Amino acid sequence: MIKLDRVTKYFNTKNGRKYLLKDVSIEIPDGNIGILGRNGAGKSTLMRMLGGIEFPNSGKIISEHSFSWPLGLGGGFVGNMSGRANVKFVCNLYGKNKKETLDIIKFVKEFSELGDYFEMPIKTYSSGMKGRLGFGLSLAFDFDYMIIDETLSVGDAKFRKKAKDALRKKIESCNVILVSHDMKTLEEMCHTGLLVHNGELKFFDDIKDGIEVYKEINK
Amino acid sequence: MKIEKRKPLFVFISVIRALFLREFEMRLTQGKSGFIWTFLEPFLQVFIFVYMRVVIKEHTGAVSLYNYAVFMTSGFVFFNIFRRVLRSSMGAFSANRGLFNYKQVKPIDTIISRVLVEVFLISCVAVIFLLIGFFTGVDNLIPKDILMVFLSIVWFIIFSFSIGLLMGVGNFFYMSIGKFMNVLSFILLIFSAVFFSLSSIPPPAQEILLYNPLVHFMEMVHGFYINELDDRYVDYIYMLYWTVMPLFMGLWLYVRLEKRIISQ
Repeated sequence: MIKLDRVTKYFNTKNGRKYLLKDVSIEIPDGNIGILGRNGAGKSTLMRMLGGIEFPNSGKIISEHSFSWPLGLGGGFVGNMSGRANVKFVCNLYGKNKKETLDIIKFVKEFSELGDYFEMPIKTYSSGMKGRLGFGLSLAFDFDYMIIDETLSVGDAKFRKKAKDALRKKIESCNVILVSHDMKTLEEMCHTGLLVHNGELKFFDDIKDGIEVYKEINK
Repeated sequence: MKIEKRKPLFVFISVIRALFLREFEMRLTQGKSGFIWTFLEPFLQVFIFVYMRVVIKEHTGAVSLYNYAVFMTSGFVFFNIFRRVLRSSMGAFSANRGLFNYKQVKPIDTIISRVLVEVFLISCVAVIFLLIGFFTGVDNLIPKDILMVFLSIVWFIIFSFSIGLLMGVGNFFYMSIGKFMNVLSFILLIFSAVFFSLSSIPPPAQEILLYNPLVHFMEMVHGFYINELDDRYVDYIYMLYWTVMPLFMGLWLYVRLEKRIISQ
């Protein structure tokens, strides 16, 4: 369960405060959650808050679970180090021993299909390649919640299919919080939905209801 | 490979370890000869400067009581701890911004690991100089009081860390602090008794220079290193103020601004 306790989050803009969440209290039951909302409604910020790298201006987010880092498009890599070195770094961060690290490196190398690029600096990667590396890396760890921000749409058609299959297998053992503008993906991966709109959070037991409301807003 | 709840200290240690290895590997793999330059750059910086000064000193025919090369080298290597720690802590937050994506990486960890990298590099340079001195048979190479020299170094590292943390936090929000400190650290190099002993300048000048805490640190390490010198000018309480106050100010500012540094 993820509990939001009177959470307020705003950004200061030239025209005063823009509220993304305004005094929101909600309990979200465990499950695969799809996050809906228009561009700029605060979906990514909400994900970052759940991942613990952005903080509400007031209120608390309480959860017992472990969250992955927000999987976006290639954030969190060091440009002038190779893919291998970056993977090693993350393993070190999570305190993996030598053998586990080697296993993870092998897995990520195979999964991401980067080939020789795996030994090249990240700055030579295209954004699709970065996304592939990041996605492969996150699969190697077992979090309670995977936070995924649009990553499923990176790469070519073949990799997208592979990523989806891998994620489908993964969510048998963990939960996922997914931001996507692709309603088909959301419907397929998630059971419950969360709509961010006008500083409010609305929870839907069934993602389909959420999608209906979202389409209504978008009209 | 389940993610378990780890003890905070264990998390901290693995983060520092990961950042240290990363920082070090990044330097080693920089360019084709990164490995050599990582060690050669700090070495040459000291070597060329010291060599020039020693040659000039010999040409002017000035006689000093102690071995000037040892005095200069020990002083400049020591001073470089401060210079390098300050420089690299000021850039730590902005250079590692991408890593705050991982929530266990706190900004202060990046400073701590950078300090460790710099200290490690300087230690290597110091060992190289000691080896050169040893094989060329330099007199008075061994410190008068090895333990106190070590203690001075430890204190100086803590002092450099406090200033570095304070300036690092400041520099993140006001870029001009970094620019100002770069100029200042060059001026400090001249006025910090690195190249001369305080006993060799007139008393009125001594009094002014002693407002600079770095002078106290330099006098302390020279006093314990060189046989003919002592720590008569050193005011330990003054040094303590300069260590504790920036440290607590830096930590206080850091704690207040940590969240803003992470999410910017």
